Amino acid sequence: MFRFQSLDDDCTLEEEDEGQVEEEDEIDQFNDDTFGAGAIDDDWQEEHKRLAGLDENVGLGAGGGGGGVMGRESDLGGAEDITSTRLSTSAGRHPLPSSLPSLNFSSSSVLPPQDVEDRGGGGGDLAESLARLILEADPAIAGVGATERPGQSLSSTGSSISALHGLERPTVLPQLSSIPHPTHSHQAHHPQHQLPPGPSTLGPPSGPPPPSSMLSYQQQQHLLHRGSAPIGQINSHSIWESNMGFGPVSVTPALTTHMEDSPLMSIIKEVGLPKLPPHGRNDEGRDLSERVPPPRSSSPVIGSPPVRAVPIGTPPKQPMSHSLNHQTHHPTAVHVRAPVQHRYPPPFPERLSPNTLLNIANSPLCRNPFPPGVGPVLSQIKRAQLLSSQVAGFARGGPAPPLLPGGGGFRPFFGGPPPPHSHRMGPMPPHGPPNHTPPIRHNTTHLHPQHRRMLTQRMQSRGGDRSRTGGDRRSRDPYSNLMTQKEKEWVTKIQMMQLQSTDPYLDDYYYQNYYEKMEKRQERERDSSKKEHTTKLITPQVAKVEHTYRPVQFAGSLGKLTVSSVNNPRKMIDAVVTTRTDDEEKRDKQVWNKRRQILYTVEKMYSLLLEVQDFEKRFVQAPEEDREALLEQHKTNTVQLCNSLREKEWDDRVSDEQCVMIMSVRKGKRLISRLLPLLASPQSSAIVMAIARNLPALAKKDKQDQVLCWLVEPVSTVIQSLSSSALTDLLQELQGSDGQLVTVLQNKFGVTLLYLILSEGEKMQSSDPNCQLMDDNRWTELVFSVTRELLSVPSSSLSAPLFTPTNLLSLFSRYVDRQRLELLQNKLQITALSR
Amino acid sequence: MNYVPGTASLIDDIDKKHLVLLRDGRTLIGFLRSIDQFANLVFHQTVERIHVGKKFGDIPRGIFIVRGENVVLLGEIDVDKPCDTVLQQVSIEEILEEQRLQQQAKQETEKVKMQVLKDRGLSIPKADNLDEY
Repeated sequence: MFRFQSLDDDCTLEEEDEGQVEEEDEIDQFNDDTFGAGAIDDDWQEEHKRLAGLDENVGLGAGGGGGGVMGRESDLGGAEDITSTRLSTSAGRHPLPSSLPSLNFSSSSVLPPQDVEDRGGGGGDLAESLARLILEADPAIAGVGATERPGQSLSSTGSSISALHGLERPTVLPQLSSIPHPTHSHQAHHPQHQLPPGPSTLGPPSGPPPPSSMLSYQQQQHLLHRGSAPIGQINSHSIWESNMGFGPVSVTPALTTHMEDSPLMSIIKEVGLPKLPPHGRNDEGRDLSERVPPPRSSSPVIGSPPVRAVPIGTPPKQPMSHSLNHQTHHPTAVHVRAPVQHRYPPPFPERLSPNTLLNIANSPLCRNPFPPGVGPVLSQIKRAQLLSSQVAGFARGGPAPPLLPGGGGFRPFFGGPPPPHSHRMGPMPPHGPPNHTPPIRHNTTHLHPQHRRMLTQRMQSRGGDRSRTGGDRRSRDPYSNLMTQKEKEWVTKIQMMQLQSTDPYLDDYYYQNYYEKMEKRQERERDSSKKEHTTKLITPQVAKVEHTYRPVQFAGSLGKLTVSSVNNPRKMIDAVVTTRTDDEEKRDKQVWNKRRQILYTVEKMYSLLLEVQDFEKRFVQAPEEDREALLEQHKTNTVQLCNSLREKEWDDRVSDEQCVMIMSVRKGKRLISRLLPLLASPQSSAIVMAIARNLPALAKKDKQDQVLCWLVEPVSTVIQSLSSSALTDLLQELQGSDGQLVTVLQNKFGVTLLYLILSEGEKMQSSDPNCQLMDDNRWTELVFSVTRELLSVPSSSLSAPLFTPTNLLSLFSRYVDRQRLELLQNKLQITALSR
Repeated sequence: MNYVPGTASLIDDIDKKHLVLLRDGRTLIGFLRSIDQFANLVFHQTVERIHVGKKFGDIPRGIFIVRGENVVLLGEIDVDKPCDTVLQQVSIEEILEEQRLQQQAKQETEKVKMQVLKDRGLSIPKADNLDEY
């Protein structure tokens, strides 16, 4: 940093001399007192001497010490050698020694007395002596003394000066041929900032300097600094460094005239005032710059999303063709009719922006995608196939073709004439308003035909009503159509994107079901002659594409990818599962594992069950060819379900254990209750038997949930279908070993079940007097024991059933005497009309 | 002229006169010029209509941009339909005055109610705070 230090009284910067160390950073470069009109240079030579003395006292440093030694010795030879070595090492280029000895000579001849005076023990720096010599000798430099830098220890610039020598050699030398030697080190001395050692930093000279012999100092400086511009901001204190960034307010040709001026003034004029960093770039970028996200700091090409000039999802500003081409890398023509060349698909199909979608939708789908031979009835799959084959040229796999069926389903953009095959569309509104564009044909194929019909009716009526008034008014409204067609389409696209679905039955269940029901209703109402209404419902469907993410791994590399981005994140932790082998934990684990196993089984069975239950619906929906396949699948499913309850692979009996296991879980009970109606009779009865047999255990497990009662209905159905022997068996099972009945009676379900069985038996007996129920005494005995139990069990432990069948009374009346009957009646609160 | 038949969209409502009720209770009438996917609305030649009793007043407001989440209802106004309301239009100053009086009266009753409740140790939080929970 240059400071103007003057001994003049009117210089206000004197105080800065002392505070120079800390204030170096704060120098006000534009302060007039420093550099401007207020800066007065005086006899810089005296000033320089003074400062040199000061510097000496401050501290010399290594270079200074060495130099000092040299100076003290005033051994020309030694000095010569050292300097020359120093210089040659730093300069490394030019033959210095030739010139230096002469310098040395002259300096040493001139300076020693001064040396001794001024610097006592230390300074005797060759550099300083040189500098002084030059400063004294060269009148041209006189004016620039102000730019000396007292703060900088001159001695310590020894090395820098040597560096400077080297540095300035390239620029200076060509000129110096005509300039007397003494200017050399002045040049060196003059910019007393810490240029980095080594000439390499100084680039090639900025240009051949003008060959005028008396190149002014300023001009040289100018060139010099131009040349050293690449050095840049080495030291923040130096104005020269900061000047590097400045554009010179160049008045170079007229510099010579300024020599009379304050040298600083001229310097400023030469190098110019600082101005803002060049912002020429910003003007054109300003449009998008507000929208541009900050540039990615590390954005490897692998997997990074393309850097968009405008964020995804911005409404279109310019005509679509521009924006699409620039932004989405799709070189497709926007013209609705033009064919599409799909080159490089965007790497991130999942995030299809409205613009992209538009692109996709507009291009192949604006002409009718279906060949003329295709009838109006198409299954979803067929449509998807057709559409995807249409856009096979689209280089990308996955999402684009699946998207297109959806895209085919919605085509809201009709700028041009309607597509050639309009049989796809619903009936056209016959009388569009006169000033409308040709009536828009909507693609309603994704809708249910019924829906479509209703819509067109509505549209027609609306169109008829409004055509006269609306159209006129709209044409007179000067503010209409502020929202361009593109923008409308864009909004619509976004809305449609939200409707894409991979599984319409899942996402849009009620819509699908509603129209199904309507269809069925219509079929029922209509006579069978009208067959054309058996069209199927078609919804836009996006195929489910499995995107399993596999992190990129380079074979043979040690460790993980260092490159990761938003789309290919790095797997940070290798989680390895280790099993613990502690014994207690083993046991616990076994229990847990078993439970998990049960849950897993239940889940699998459930999904099978759901598929079986949904089979009918799907069956109705499927076209003829697929029906057999579906049927087959259904059979397989059912079989699988049944098999899952089996004990072993080869044993067809229902596994008790399995049943109990499943029933021990709440979900399992639910499963069984839903499953029972689907199973074949022997199996379902076996299950019911199993339930009855294991009722105590089940009841115990059910204490919390009370879910067993869900089973009542399906079980009752099963019971009603049982034969008499089976029924007896069931009752026997229920009673089981001693004491089981007690537990059974304590449980609500148990009681209900018991009643059901008894009631069924009674029904059997009363309906068919020849039934086999009475053939062996088992039934009677069982009923006896039941009644005994019922009477003996305290009322409190008797749980109330879900419902009490009416014929229990008649049942009991067969077997017990009147007294007991009454007791039973009271206990169980069964009356002739109880429910 | 629905772009996507079978769905509900505001596209058809563009450039038509609409009445919108906002969450803060204001009623705006204007020409719907632009929409976006959040149902943010741009109204042109908007008029805020204040109703007090049987009187109403229109305050011209210019251009409004309404954030979608603040819309309670939005309906098209049929300009052809004869307007045979019992409402009587008054000047802006008058309606504002009426509104002020109405608010004042409401505040009075509210204050009294709160006091009465407080005396009984009850408190009912105000509805406008609830909305923002």
